[in-house]
Amino acid sequence: MNRLMNCFRNSLTLNSFAIALLAGSVLCFAALFTPTAWAQSSKISILNSGKNKNIAQRKVDLQAEAKLLRIYQLIGKGQNRQALAESELLLKAQPNFQLAQLVHGDLLSSFVRPVNGLGDLPKSTQLAVTATAASPTNSPTAAATLNELREESLQRLKALRERPPANALPAQFLALSDKNKHAIAVDASRSRLYLFENGASGVKLVADYYISIGKLGVEKTLEGDQRTPLGVYYITGSLNPTSLVDFYGVGALPINYPNPLDLKRGKTGSGIWLHGTPSEQFSRAPKASDGCVVLANPDLNHILTSVRSRTTPVVIADRLNWVSKASLETDKANFNNTLVAWRQAKVQADTAKMMAFYTSDFSNYGKNLTQWASIISNELKNIKGRDIALTNINMMRWSDQNDTMVVTFDEVIVGKQTGVTKRQYWIRDGKAWKIFFEGVI
Amino acid sequence: MSAPVSLLRLLPATFALSAALFAVSVHANDLDEVNQLLKAGKQAQALAKVEQSLTAKPRDPQLRFLKGVIQTELGKPQDAIGTFTKLTEEYPELPEPYNNLAVLHASGGQFDKARAALEMAIRTNPSYSTAHENLGDIYANLASQAYSKALQLGGSSSTLQPKLTLIRELFTPGSKGTNVNTTKPVATAPVAPTVVAPVAPTATAPIVKPAVTVPVATAPTTPVAPALPAVAAASDKDIEQAVQAWAKAWSSKDMNAYLASYAKNFDTPKNLPRKTWEDERRDRIMGKSRISVKVSDITTKLNGNTATVKFRQTYDADALSTSSRKTLELTKVGDRWLIAKETTGG
Repeated sequence: MNRLMNCFRNSLTLNSFAIALLAGSVLCFAALFTPTAWAQSSKISILNSGKNKNIAQRKVDLQAEAKLLRIYQLIGKGQNRQALAESELLLKAQPNFQLAQLVHGDLLSSFVRPVNGLGDLPKSTQLAVTATAASPTNSPTAAATLNELREESLQRLKALRERPPANALPAQFLALSDKNKHAIAVDASRSRLYLFENGASGVKLVADYYISIGKLGVEKTLEGDQRTPLGVYYITGSLNPTSLVDFYGVGALPINYPNPLDLKRGKTGSGIWLHGTPSEQFSRAPKASDGCVVLANPDLNHILTSVRSRTTPVVIADRLNWVSKASLETDKANFNNTLVAWRQAKVQADTAKMMAFYTSDFSNYGKNLTQWASIISNELKNIKGRDIALTNINMMRWSDQNDTMVVTFDEVIVGKQTGVTKRQYWIRDGKAWKIFFEGVI
Repeated sequence: MSAPVSLLRLLPATFALSAALFAVSVHANDLDEVNQLLKAGKQAQALAKVEQSLTAKPRDPQLRFLKGVIQTELGKPQDAIGTFTKLTEEYPELPEPYNNLAVLHASGGQFDKARAALEMAIRTNPSYSTAHENLGDIYANLASQAYSKALQLGGSSSTLQPKLTLIRELFTPGSKGTNVNTTKPVATAPVAPTVVAPVAPTATAPIVKPAVTVPVATAPTTPVAPALPAVAAASDKDIEQAVQAWAKAWSSKDMNAYLASYAKNFDTPKNLPRKTWEDERRDRIMGKSRISVKVSDITTKLNGNTATVKFRQTYDADALSTSSRKTLELTKVGDRWLIAKETTGG
């Protein structure tokens, strides 16, 4: 009889559960969400993301998160029975998806007691939480884990609700070359990695994934500061998964931190990778790593199989600024004039004009400006006034306290079969752009 | 469950199978004998007796159910699971085997299987309160497991074993015999409303009778203490009368008399304030169109001004019918015996 009464009470408490879930989101988004609006906005995001030929692939990648979102939507509609059935299926596929486990626990609990918000543990469990947390040294307390899971939930919802505007790209993506089949942008504030494909019809967003960053956030400066660097990077290789310990999951893609701008600024540290999660964790807390960008294994796997190292740029920003493709074209054309001027100086073999493009603190893998001047001088002799072509130009703009440009291109002396791939780091001084790093990559 | 008390019940250590509840006369002798053996703690012999009876009636659901219960008691969960599983296959309309299957799965830590079995029990009989209660416990346990995994507390060992109620008697409607003989359980259309039959009022008809025989049944227990003072004997009678009056007040929905059966210091379930508890009881009881509470198999343990009374409570209200063990702790206030504590289970 008590149980029968409970059944009735459930129909009420489910709603309060749903409302509490939503209330949590409202705190963060400063937006008004009724359950309906919440469900609708989420639905829209899913529809938007599916409108391309990669829909099948994307479905696979986003399976776990999309399923979790659907469970949230069902809870929002008070359909806890259905939500429970779906969380069971999700956990069958991803038993180590801790956030899903938490939601599952709440759903099960909702049939026997009122549940007021995500991770509403019963008192007895809370006691167990404190008891267990005391024993393992150096591990986060269970209470902290609970907060992290709530944070993960908010971050996932936020990224799914606040979609990038259509036909927009991160402001850093001035120009991708034909060699850049993909590009990656990380929005640390959203715990999100966006994967772009550069195909015949231009650059477009094809997938985005929840990610974890450094325990202490972003703007890595010093070795061991447990922060994720901010800037324009490139994937430098792919580590053989068999050589990696379980902690890194299905693989690892190192990026070129510290890049020449980081070095110019005296930043230290190394070994910043995009990597997977240990087998006992589907995903990690939003701030969990020592500075690496951590993806769920199925998500990383997709990147591993589709993305090329050495040519794939990885922009890591605290907050991505999405701008229209048209405005990017204008910026690209403007900077292209500078690049053309540099090429002309080179073709004209005008050493003085040429050297005016380089900053006094210029470096080329440790060589200073004086040493570089003699290298340039030799190079110009070698060119002997022949024309040179710059192809496959990739321009990435990075603006913080400085306005900088990372340009990668193939330089070929006209008439020759092969050339070299070079990368330059430019910094703007007033109206003039100057090169503070140049080298063959 | 009708009781306003803790929903968790221990698997009673004292195995008191009430043969009287197996009202179908065909089995009466067999079951009596099994019951005697069980009372004497001779589970193995009881099992042998059941097996023997089964050779004559191999498909008999009550005997087979009893066999499963004894196998459980004997610590042979795999055998018991086999027995109950076969029963669910052949008599899908009976909720009890599902329930006990769930209890066994749960004690083996297989909560998902337990949950599935309980959901089947409830599908079979939507108002089956024991299954509802057990399912509640399973949900709570699964939730606790999920939370442990979510927080990576490591080892589900921290989760408590749910204490589920093992059903010891198979309720059968008077017409059960024909069902058994047809050997076509499918014909009983498990989903049809008739499935409720096992707990339908008609089913309780045979159960009501044993209540009459209660004084006889309890008689042997009293003489065990031969030299009891007359006062104690009188108290026993007073206590029993108090319990019967309580059951009667409940049955007749006489709230004043019902609530007056409880002592001022009554230990309310979940430590509810007395007022809240009273309101809750009033809602529950007055909300029923018909209630019948019968008390049988009373044993009384007197200790000065307090007494512990154990009995079987047969509750039958609207669509719900249950039989369970209940324990009342009474205290003597003036010349009245009042309930100080009420618990369900052994």
